[in-house]
Order: sequence, then C-alpha cells, then structure tokens
Amino acid sequence: MKVSKLMLSTLFGLLFTGLALAQTAEYTLDGMTFGMPEAEVFTEDYDGPPVVGEYVTMLPNLKPLDYEGNKHHEVRIDIIVQEIEVAEGVRYRAWTFGGTVPGPVLHVKEGDRITFYMKNRSDEEVTITEPSKGGSPFMQQVAENNYQKNKPGIMPMPHSMDFHAGTVAKDDKWRTIGPGETIKFDWIANYAGSYIYHCGTPSVLMHTAMGQHGVVVVSPKDGYPTDYEVDREYVVVQSEYYLEKGPGELYQYDFEGASNRQPSHVVFNGHQTIMHDQPLKANAGERVRFHFSNNGPSGTSSFHVIGGIFDRVWIEGHPFNEMRGMQTVLVGASGSATLDMIVPEEGKYILIDHEFADAELGATGTLKAGPKQEK
Amino acid sequence: MRSQKNIHRLKNWALTGIVGLLVSLLNPVMAQQERVLIPAGSFHSILPEVKGEPISVDSFYIDKTAVTNEDFLAFIQENENWQREKVPAVFTAQNYLQHWQESLNPGFDKIGENRPVTHVSWFAANAYCSDKGGRLPTLNEWEYSAQLMDFESIQEMNRFSTELIGWYSSVDAKNTKAVGSTQIQNRHGVQDQFGLIMEWVEDYKPIIADELSLDCGTVGRLQQLGNIYSYAASIRYITRMSFNPKTTTGMVGFRCAYNIDHPESSSNTQL
Ligand SMILES: [Cu+2]
Repeated sequence: MKVSKLMLSTLFGLLFTGLALAQTAEYTLDGMTFGMPEAEVFTEDYDGPPVVGEYVTMLPNLKPLDYEGNKHHEVRIDIIVQEIEVAEGVRYRAWTFGGTVPGPVLHVKEGDRITFYMKNRSDEEVTITEPSKGGSPFMQQVAENNYQKNKPGIMPMPHSMDFHAGTVAKDDKWRTIGPGETIKFDWIANYAGSYIYHCGTPSVLMHTAMGQHGVVVVSPKDGYPTDYEVDREYVVVQSEYYLEKGPGELYQYDFEGASNRQPSHVVFNGHQTIMHDQPLKANAGERVRFHFSNNGPSGTSSFHVIGGIFDRVWIEGHPFNEMRGMQTVLVGASGSATLDMIVPEEGKYILIDHEFADAELGATGTLKAGPKQEK
Repeated sequence: MRSQKNIHRLKNWALTGIVGLLVSLLNPVMAQQERVLIPAGSFHSILPEVKGEPISVDSFYIDKTAVTNEDFLAFIQENENWQREKVPAVFTAQNYLQHWQESLNPGFDKIGENRPVTHVSWFAANAYCSDKGGRLPTLNEWEYSAQLMDFESIQEMNRFSTELIGWYSSVDAKNTKAVGSTQIQNRHGVQDQFGLIMEWVEDYKPIIADELSLDCGTVGRLQQLGNIYSYAASIRYITRMSFNPKTTTGMVGFRCAYNIDHPESSSNTQL
C-alpha cells in the first residue's frame, strides 16, 4: 500500500513535467508578422557567457545597426543573481537579467526576428566582470567598466521574461521558468521604438524592483527624419529602487516602500551617481539623441535637460509620433521617448526628472559638452 | 512576538534537548526525526477557489525541523538509487545534491550536518518520507501549520510579514543556517517554516495553478486575507507553483508528515 501511494504521487509528478500548449501558425497583417512557434523549456549544460548577441550592449551604449534589411538575431540573456552597488555604500543582492540593473540594451530593427534564450541561473554563481569568449559587447563593457561593483550571488527563484517589444501570448513565451531551466522562443520586433523588458513573475512589483528590467531599442526600418544629422546616441533608463538596510551589511527589498511608492533611490542607468561620475559626452553644435525609457516599476518621469530644448521627440520612439520643441517629456512607467537635442554651447547640461522629489533621490545626470568642432 | 515568549521557548528547547538525549541514549541506532502532533482545525487559504471559506485539516504529525544533510546521507546510504551517480534522470535535475563534496561524503565541515538538505527534487523528498513511513505534507497541512503562529497584535504580524518578504528577496542560499536556528516556530513547536529554506509539499502545484498561470495579477488575486501576511504567503505559493518535480535548488528542502493512524508515528512524538 505504501508503494502504490508513492507510485501514484510519482505519476502525478511526472505529469507536470510535460505540459504543452498548442502551436500557432505564423501569419502577416499590415506588414507585421504574428503567430510565433511555441516556446521550448528545457535543461541544458550551458555555463558560458550569460549575455550573447552581437547587438547587445551595456548602458548608455547603443550598438549601431550595420546591416541592410532585416536580420535574424540569436540573443541570450540569462537570469543571474549579483550583489551590486546602486549608490555609495548601498549594496544589495539583485535579481538581474545578464548581471546589471538595468539589464543589457538590445538593439534591433523594425521587422527583425529574435530567437531568444534565457537560462534561469539564479542558483549558480556567475561572474560577469571577467572578459569572456563568445559573449556580447555587453560582457566586454562590464569587464572594463564595472560601476556597479558586481559580485556573484545565489538566490534560486522562478523568473520570466516579458519583452514589451514583442507581440505574443504571455502564457507561452513569457512563462515562468524555475531555477536550472532554460526557455527559448522567437519574437518579431513589429513596432519601432524603445521598449522595456522585465520579469513578469509575481510579484511583478518585487521582481522588477529587485532589478529585472532593461530596454530593447527597435530602430524604424525607414529611420527617423534627422538620422543623418545625429552625432551621438545614448540610452538613458530611469528606474526606482526600494531598499532598506538588512540585518547584515547589505540592503534588501523594502516591501512597504515599494507598496507605498516611496523609493529609496530614483536613478538613471541603475546607479545614483554614475551619470555624473561618467558624464555623457558631446560637443557644442552636435545633435545628440537620447533613447529614454522609464522602467519604473511604479514612478512616472518628467524628463528634462537643463539648458536644452528637445528639437524632436518621438513618443515611445515611433517615428509617426513626432513632437517638436518640448521642454519636458512626461513618460509613464514602462513608457519611453526618443529625443533629439541640439547642444547649444560648451558647458554642462543636467539630465533630470523634473519631478524634483525624484531628482533629489538621484534621478539626475550630466551631459558634458566640449567646444564646437569643425565637421 | 519574540519578547517574553522566547524565554519559554528556550526552556522548551532545553527540555526537548534533555528528552532527546535520553531517547538517543536508550536508542543506540540513530535518533529519529522528532515529530509534532498538529491537531485538526481550519485555516484560510489564499487560493481563490475557496473564497473566504476556511479549509479543514485533519490532525497529522509533522517533523519538527527540516530534513538535514546528515539525515539524508543516512537515507541514501541505505537507498543506493538516490545517490548522486545512481539516481535516474527522470527523477531529478542535473544539480541534484551538487553542493555535496562527494556522492556519499557531503563535506560536513563545509555544508554542516545540521543544515537542511537542499538540491533535492520533489521525487527524492517523496522517497525519503516514504522510507520513513510518512509522506510530504500536503500544501494545506503545511500552510495550516505555518499559520498557527501566535502574534501579540496585528502590528506584530505585519512586522513579521514585512521581515519575511524581505527575507524572500534576500535569501543567501550559499550560507544556509542550521535547522532550529531561526527561533521561529508555530504554537506546537514546529520550527523554521519561515526564514530558513522553502519546502516541498505533496501537491505543490494545486489544481488551479494552470488557471492562475502566474500572471502579473496573481498576487492581487491571492490577497484573500487582505493583509500583508497573505502577501508573504502568495510569494510562497507562487514560488512553489513554478517548480517542477525534478527541480533541485539551493533554497528548497523538505520535512515529512505522517498520518495520525500510522503505527510508526505514535512511538516517538512530542507530548
Ligand atoms: Cu523574476
């Protein structure tokens, strides 16, 4: 009798290992492609670089697209735990995509297909600060500029990936995978613009606030009207941390702060001072483009550059959503804008969330402009 | 919650220690895991299938603490099939007991004989408990036991839950502490259901798991009790639901439960 009970529960367990969903056929509508093949969840021995893909970089970099037409990208962004610094003396064990908060920037073109791999390596120690073979530019950039002072950690939890740039059924592609599992799925970048990605596993507030978010920049297939005049491009991501001092040295998630929208830090590119310590660079007379994304999880942003006016603004980054002459651009949680600014003269320009309470929690940065250059 | 009661707990602890010592002197073979009787009762589940309705739970025995590395070593010494090199692949992920130095030598100096065994699949946990004449606790039994906590006030409960949520987001799976070390126990003396590891339960993926499908809104749907205690519970339910029975991770271990009528379970229980 004892044996039969064990067998029954064994059967019950085996049933759960093979849940399947129906496959959808691909179709096009309005020039866009929908109906991706079913996601695959499996286990693999993979212990290589956690971030793979030619066009995957570390903030504030954007890898230029150097190909004609559309491309099929193979991208990997693994889930790893890293102890990171988010402000002077403030370290916590972050849940991350690829090891930094925010995660890596993926650059693709409208209409590109992405085959995405993600292994939940939250119960493995993964070092991202040493140069690795076969990784993305992101890996090299972190090794050279480890501003979050990463240390690997272990905290096994279930996680998932929700690319806002994709149009798929979430119960298939964005599904939650356990530690040790890998998910593989395809998506098409149907819409141009900047789109956040984040973990969608409940509690989404907790998972996103713990660090699981990043940006995909989808460049329009026919470009923006000022593309040929742009001298520099930067990716700037605003986000909030909700941290309080834990029992030891480290900080930890502050549930009450997160629930009550009382962030401990509001930051650009994941660190309270990085954009002053390492200011964005430009010269007078240049056209600088910002891909600005507010990854939240819960705050809004009134993005402004002190001393500048946005010459062109494409709300969400879609080329049809053009506005001109904007002083401040209101960007809600998980919203974005692509902004061109002409740098008026040599000097310092402060990027800021003009919701000043947030600015004083850290949402500021510097654009340092040199003298006008002969072109 | 920790104030005066701790003193009682310490006394209890000392008493239990003496009783335990006597038992082990009388019993030259390894002392069995201490079991605690949980009387029948009911509790409010956070699962939406039972809106507002208390769930009845029959009385059962449950291990006072989680199964330790030492316990598990003894088990696999007698059950070769569950040794690292021999376990069939269908019953576990590749990293089964990966933190042990060797198959039959955990390296206690590094991982501690009294720390909960982790990196064990649901199948392995089942086999262990079955070998001990028990089974894994059902999800309802586990949660019922976990809710039998005495808080002096709502404020105390909220503070405890806030800390617990903080713990869920800052677990250090590399440095798990020994069983019995959290000083957190329910009113019957079941220890460490919080703050040490997460634990396998028999039906960790309830029937409605698919329907809930771990959506963004799931946390909201699980706030049946309308308080932060249920928020902490929802993190547990959700985390458990997304394991599969082969999953082996550094923060999941288990303890066993025993039916009340089981002849083996009456011999060695706490009074
Ligand atoms: Cu997550």
